[in-house]
Amino acid sequence: MPNSLPRGRRYVLLLLLLCGFGVVLFRLVTLQVLQAAELSVKADRQHQKTVSLEGARGTIVDRHGKLLAKNVEVPSVFGVPNALHSPLTTARQLSPILHMKSDELERKLRQDRSFVWLARKLDPDQGRQLDRLSLDGIGVVMEGRRFYPKGSLLAHVLGFSGMDGEGLEGVEHRYESYLRGEKRMMVLQRDALGRTVFPRGMTEGSPTPGHSLTLTIDEVIQYLAERELDDAVGRAQAKSGTMIVLDPKTGAVLAMAVSPRFDPNAVSALSPDRWRNRALTDAYEPGSTMKAVMAAAAIEERVVRPNTMVFGEHGHMTVANTVIHDHERLGWVSFAQVIQKSSNIGAAKTGMALGEQRLHRYLLAFGFGQRTEIDLPGEGAGLVRNPRDWGRRSVASISMGQEIGVTPLQMVSAVAAIANGGVLMKPYVVSEIRDADGHILRQTPPQARRRVISPDTARSVTRILEGVITDGTGTKAAIRGFRVAGKTGTAQKIDPRTGTYSASRFVASFAGYVPADNPQLAMIVVIDEPQGDAWGGAVAAPVFSRVGEQVLSYLGVPSYEPVTLAMALRKS
Amino acid sequence: MKTFTVFLGLCLVFVFVWERVDMVRIGYQIERLKRDKAVLERQRDELRVKVSALSASDRIAKLATEKLGMNLPQQGQVIIVQSRPSYVYPSNVVPVELKIAKNYPASRRL
Repeated sequence: MPNSLPRGRRYVLLLLLLCGFGVVLFRLVTLQVLQAAELSVKADRQHQKTVSLEGARGTIVDRHGKLLAKNVEVPSVFGVPNALHSPLTTARQLSPILHMKSDELERKLRQDRSFVWLARKLDPDQGRQLDRLSLDGIGVVMEGRRFYPKGSLLAHVLGFSGMDGEGLEGVEHRYESYLRGEKRMMVLQRDALGRTVFPRGMTEGSPTPGHSLTLTIDEVIQYLAERELDDAVGRAQAKSGTMIVLDPKTGAVLAMAVSPRFDPNAVSALSPDRWRNRALTDAYEPGSTMKAVMAAAAIEERVVRPNTMVFGEHGHMTVANTVIHDHERLGWVSFAQVIQKSSNIGAAKTGMALGEQRLHRYLLAFGFGQRTEIDLPGEGAGLVRNPRDWGRRSVASISMGQEIGVTPLQMVSAVAAIANGGVLMKPYVVSEIRDADGHILRQTPPQARRRVISPDTARSVTRILEGVITDGTGTKAAIRGFRVAGKTGTAQKIDPRTGTYSASRFVASFAGYVPADNPQLAMIVVIDEPQGDAWGGAVAAPVFSRVGEQVLSYLGVPSYEPVTLAMALRKS
Repeated sequence: MKTFTVFLGLCLVFVFVWERVDMVRIGYQIERLKRDKAVLERQRDELRVKVSALSASDRIAKLATEKLGMNLPQQGQVIIVQSRPSYVYPSNVVPVELKIAKNYPASRRL
């Protein structure tokens, strides 16, 4: 048959075929060689999907493993306005589920954009309702949302995280680098329907979740502290209140309560003033609680002994053309009674005998005027001026807790140092950091900062401070069956208008420890601007007593009841 | 021989195609299982948060006092007794070893 074609036609046919193959070959070279890189990228775009995955933020638990903060995947809703047929209908359907006005939703859905967030980090139940609705042009993606299941409990210590999961306050902020999960980009293969066929980097696994924190805080002690503090602040109609409970032997913070509280699950409507951790940011003039520190310094330096007699000057004494008053005329009293009765004159005289240089040295040694370096953000250093800047009355004033700014944390740390036999410990709130598999990455050992006073001096001061509860201004801090040591404080606040001490605004406080012979708890209660009976012994000491009794019971610390039982046996 | 070679070739092609198809099928299966796992993990996390919220001390205290009519113990009503007392007793008193007794009502104390 081919032989029947004339030779000329055969050549033409061959030429046509060669041309055809040539075109195909040229096209192949163009696609496979010349445009290979560009087309390969285009194909990858269609077949592959790159997603950013982030490991879940680490959890936070108390010292017994009770959950305090955890991330849960929750739905966020977005709209694709270009793909919507009727924004009005869609908005009306979404409105009751998202709890948003349909006008607002419609406005968002009418935007000339291909993507718009409608609501982020909703409750899981809302997500399930949206799934059932299955609306065109409305999509749902899962995002991690931080939950604080205990509500306002420990809120000032935990802090909170922002919309994008970053820690903004408290432990959440301080330990951001540990809590944050690993971010990883992953390439997925997609089929024609957009379904994921096979993740290319599947062998690499999911991104690593963030580390988990174990706090030194005890949820029950924290609850007791917050409940009693809220109650005291409410009854005294005070501006605010703070309470800290420390283990004096280790510096571990067992509770840190601030009143009023806030809910970290809903912080957007609150002012920063509400979430400030006053226990470590706000400095105040401590008033008479400072006398415990001054007494420790004076006894350590052998300026006085507990039985040294001090003259109370009939209730008033002139120093640098100003008059220092006592609330009662004491006459001749022992130094122990000076502290127990909270004599300003006795404290001023002892402070002046100690001298400004030694007093200043002990203030710094007890940790005032510097941060305690607790592992929480925003800590203030307080205010201890250099003796060069002190006035003629400064030694007397500082000895009774004026002209000095301290934070509640500094004060309780100083009192805890006396409880701990004279060794100042560094306070801390995070005891362990664990990875996602539960392996311990870091443990915080108790850290002694320095020895401030000798054990003998600490014992002497403890006996004096026990007298504050048995015979002095702090009787309401007593706990039945336990020896309590502590000191009351009632400090006048500076009136910002006049620049002088206010006659109506006070800070009432009590700092102490229990049991005095083997301290398990060091606590401070600070009530800001209580109304009515504003004495520290009347407002703050009862909180110490109520919390102390319940916490000792909770911890199973034995009381002195065996004495009662033994006496009963003898009678029978 | 030629037939056998063709048959072998077809078998190889079939195995290759079957392997590719099965890989895709397993890929879908893995993805579905991963989605199921994610849902279950999400439910687990939600439940953990719920358990934590329900076991909060303030909630339990509120339920105990408001619904069950319980009261907080007053001062002195809770006594913790040392099991091995370190207290030095007077000579005429015989110490007795006691087990820990918590929440011992004031009305029944010795």
